[in-house]
Amino acid sequence: MLDELELLKRDWQQRERDLPKLSYEQIHRMIWKRSSSLVRWIFYVSIIEFIAPHLLYIVPSFREGLSYELAESLGISVPLYILTVLQYGVALYFIFRFYLGYREISVLDTTGNLMKGILKIRKTVLHYVIFSLGMILLVFAIFIEGMFFSNNLIDQLHLSSQSNIDANKIKWLVMGIMALTGIIFTGIVGGVYYFIYGMLTRKLNKNYQELEKLEA
Amino acid sequence: MTRELEHQFVTQLEANQNIIHKVCSLYSGNQDAHDDLFQEIAIQLWKAYPKFRGDSKFSTWMYRVALNTAITLYRKSKKLPRTQDMDSVLFRIKSEQYDPTEEQQLSLIYGAIRELGDIEKALVFLYLEDKNYNEIAETLGISEVNARVKMNRIKNKLKNVLNP
Repeated sequence: MLDELELLKRDWQQRERDLPKLSYEQIHRMIWKRSSSLVRWIFYVSIIEFIAPHLLYIVPSFREGLSYELAESLGISVPLYILTVLQYGVALYFIFRFYLGYREISVLDTTGNLMKGILKIRKTVLHYVIFSLGMILLVFAIFIEGMFFSNNLIDQLHLSSQSNIDANKIKWLVMGIMALTGIIFTGIVGGVYYFIYGMLTRKLNKNYQELEKLEA
Repeated sequence: MTRELEHQFVTQLEANQNIIHKVCSLYSGNQDAHDDLFQEIAIQLWKAYPKFRGDSKFSTWMYRVALNTAITLYRKSKKLPRTQDMDSVLFRIKSEQYDPTEEQQLSLIYGAIRELGDIEKALVFLYLEDKNYNEIAETLGISEVNARVKMNRIKNKLKNVLNP
């Protein structure tokens, strides 16, 4: 009996005749179509991730909630200012790193290097997201700290003090709500990120592991 | 200049399109997915074309871009059915020289190839295209020894499908 794989090879080469044939015009039309490559997707998603935290300030309730006046009256405007400067600096650093990694990716590279390159920029974005989430938590923490040391929180938040409830209780309640909001908010943003990237890179991770196993 | 480059590229691609069709039939389960992947590979080739210096053959260069696109870069652009309707070139039964035993064997092997992982498929593909282990290793970015070891394992796997 003919070796099975030789049979396969022979058949494979014979099948060339059955392959579809596209015309010059069909191919010509194709090359100007929009690419749907993973790298392109990661690029767009990353841009959204870089600007999304800043878009939050467009949301009115968020802007008012974390308003400058409130920060001023709580005495936390200086740390918040330093934090903002730091945040922009770090964001610029990450954008630069991302750009360098993005430029290195080439479809002409070996499969292994191409996958490594994509995973590298993905990691850059991941680190940026972790940093951003940390920053969100930190901003909430600074507000809570400001509230803790505040002597007349009820006035500062423009809450009426006519009720009979103990002012101290209200203070703890507001701080609790603030902490809970911070944690839930960070959790949601982190969850959305995890979901999007999981979807985008599932296949890549699987294939990279397959390749790694082969080299092990 | 661009028009000339474009013409040159499309002419070369048209002449060598078999390579892409073969990659597509390995990595997609139906005609729509085949066409979609073909288009993405064509786009990637065109984008990379200015870097093609002609120091290797156009076809050699195509293998790498086509496989990289199929394995790593490609994402379905529209909602394509996940089903494998067996209509791909791999499963079409040929009418001429019909030998039932051979045909059955082949259909079993092609079925087994379809079940392989994306990297394993690439190895089988390059093997079937008569590439040597040096080229296979260079395309995938693995060592030649590992390419050989892995290929032998896949060969045994495929043979076992026929002689369980």
